[in-house]
Amino acid sequence: MATAEVFVRYDLKKELAEKKVAAGKDELLQKVMDAVVNGDEDNIVAYVNEALTVHDPLVVIREGLVKAMDEVSRLWDEGIYYLPQTIISSDTMLAGLEECEKKMGHAVEKKGVVVTHTAEGDIHDLGQQIVNALLRANGFEVIDLGKDVPVDDVVNAVKQYKPAMLTGTALMTTTMTAFNKIANRLRRDGIEVPFVCGGGAVSLEYVTSFDLGIWGKEAQQAPPMASDAVAGVSWTKMREKYNS
Amino acid sequence: MAKFTSMAYSSADEMIFGTAKKPVKYGRDFEVGGGMVYPEIVNHPRPGSEETKKSLMREYEKMTNDSLERAVTLGFPGLQIELEHVWQMTKNPDWGGDIAGQTVRQQQDWYQKYGIKSAVRATIADNRKPEQENIRDCKSLELALKTFELSAKNGADNLSIESVGGKEISDYSIVRQDIRGVLFGIGVLGSRDVEFLWKQIVEIANKYGATPGGETNCAQANVAMFMAGGMLDKSVPHTFAAVTRAIGAARTLTAYEMGAKGPTKDCGYEDPIIKAITGIPIATEGKTCACAHADLQGNLIMAVTDLWSNEAVEYHDMFGGTTAAVFTEILGYDVALMNSAIALGKAKDLQEMMIYSDLYRDVHSFVVAPAQAYEIGKAIVTNNTDYYSRARAGAICAAKLILGDPKMLLSKFETEVLQKTLRELESFPDNEGDFIEQCAAIYTKAVPGFKLANYGL
Repeated sequence: MATAEVFVRYDLKKELAEKKVAAGKDELLQKVMDAVVNGDEDNIVAYVNEALTVHDPLVVIREGLVKAMDEVSRLWDEGIYYLPQTIISSDTMLAGLEECEKKMGHAVEKKGVVVTHTAEGDIHDLGQQIVNALLRANGFEVIDLGKDVPVDDVVNAVKQYKPAMLTGTALMTTTMTAFNKIANRLRRDGIEVPFVCGGGAVSLEYVTSFDLGIWGKEAQQAPPMASDAVAGVSWTKMREKYNS
Repeated sequence: MAKFTSMAYSSADEMIFGTAKKPVKYGRDFEVGGGMVYPEIVNHPRPGSEETKKSLMREYEKMTNDSLERAVTLGFPGLQIELEHVWQMTKNPDWGGDIAGQTVRQQQDWYQKYGIKSAVRATIADNRKPEQENIRDCKSLELALKTFELSAKNGADNLSIESVGGKEISDYSIVRQDIRGVLFGIGVLGSRDVEFLWKQIVEIANKYGATPGGETNCAQANVAMFMAGGMLDKSVPHTFAAVTRAIGAARTLTAYEMGAKGPTKDCGYEDPIIKAITGIPIATEGKTCACAHADLQGNLIMAVTDLWSNEAVEYHDMFGGTTAAVFTEILGYDVALMNSAIALGKAKDLQEMMIYSDLYRDVHSFVVAPAQAYEIGKAIVTNNTDYYSRARAGAICAAKLILGDPKMLLSKFETEVLQKTLRELESFPDNEGDFIEQCAAIYTKAVPGFKLANYGL
């Protein structure tokens, strides 16, 4: 069968650059970085423990694990990495972090708390799971309420954990209607937490129709949004930044 | 349960839109796969209308009326209406049941006045949460079965579902490009859950004289396909999603082995493979479902369809009427073109154009094109000793077909992903028990809440 100009394979038009790992401070830290960037879950624990024989845990975290995740983020942003490579690197990074925390005897102080949930009636929580993974890999504490979460439970969790940011995921328009109910309840109680909503049929128009709402177009926006929320940026300013 | 061990068709070339080896009759003089293609409209209520039973029933009444009116206005011979449940319709079985009854009554009125052939498909929502509950004995299952029962009792002609068994494993695995988990979650666990569910759905359908209709791997293979997205997306690799589709076909086949008679569910992009194996009529969706999502096989997926659908369109006003009317019109004219080709003896010509349009647009189009679907089907039925073996065989076949066609161009990255996926598939144990043992150890640890017992293991 001959091929006429019925379609254009734009995906083949641009060959992307090879990945390049930013150099670590020494060989041991480089091994940690390479393991995270390459998603080497089988060996990360061994490499981290090797690095911990020489370096302070905070150095391994800062100069190895975090630096490697920065590199992964760059590779994803540039389209060299796909989502699975990023998720596996995140899993690897968290396994390494756990080793460092064991050595320290306590958990690393997190950047802030984010409560995440999938709307009542909705069992499609894959988007939320991706958001959770990206937030954790970027140093945030995630309170994962799971899927099909009633409005009351979300409101109560916000009161209990006092998060810097709340997220909601929904696939269907008939389940996303829980979001404005949550926002109204929170506002009524004087809680001004930025409430990032996204997924499936959730639209900018809908999310910006109620107070607190900020539309999240893609999962990878979650870490920078959480950073803004932790820094005290209000929901109105966040909406202006991400939704206008 | 009799398993399919041979193909319904002698070759891919024998397959054509509008005709299936095993046509299905139900509803008001409605036949699917009997020589004509019909439209299947899926209308979705506006947010807010689901607040009360009364408002939701009114919404469905209006949508159904708009669709039937447009079909008659434009002279379409028949129309199937799918009630794809929003969760409130299954959580409250009387809502779903009463809306089914109302829709049947509306169709009867239009049938009596104008003779328009019609049928109602009730697709019940599967709200079970495998990692949180016993999915073989939970409230969500009880409500789903009750809703099936009330829908059938009130006259729904076709009972269907988009079931979610194994999704906790496939979701985890798709975003990690882990083909072992995909094969386990869809091929092994998903198939067992389909078997469990469809035994009960068929019993309910038989009790009320309804037709046990169709399944779809929407909750799993469509997740991979939609995440793979279009040419600009860098989410799930397209080749990985295409191999996942073949696994989904082996899993969805189970419904038809359990007694489902079709037509299949519209969003099961594995349906051409199902038709090749079973001869059951299929519903598909492509360019006409742009209202719900984009895909890369908008024309090709019509090639062997019997019921042409729009997936779901939310009810709104457009310049040309409501979306319910407008999408009925779009579907109806597509179908008229296919039926004209059949009447003029040009069906194979039109089919060739459909395939030509999209075959090499993307690997997902490629694996559901009739020739490739047929080969994948053959791999499944000739390895049908157990769920695992047939799903694995279908996946290996899909990967080899893609790699073996030089016109199916791939980026370096996609080629590497596919080669790695194929190597992994070939390295897995030959015995299903060994594979399950291997996976149980991995995923019980990796996926919180995962329980083998949910799948009778």
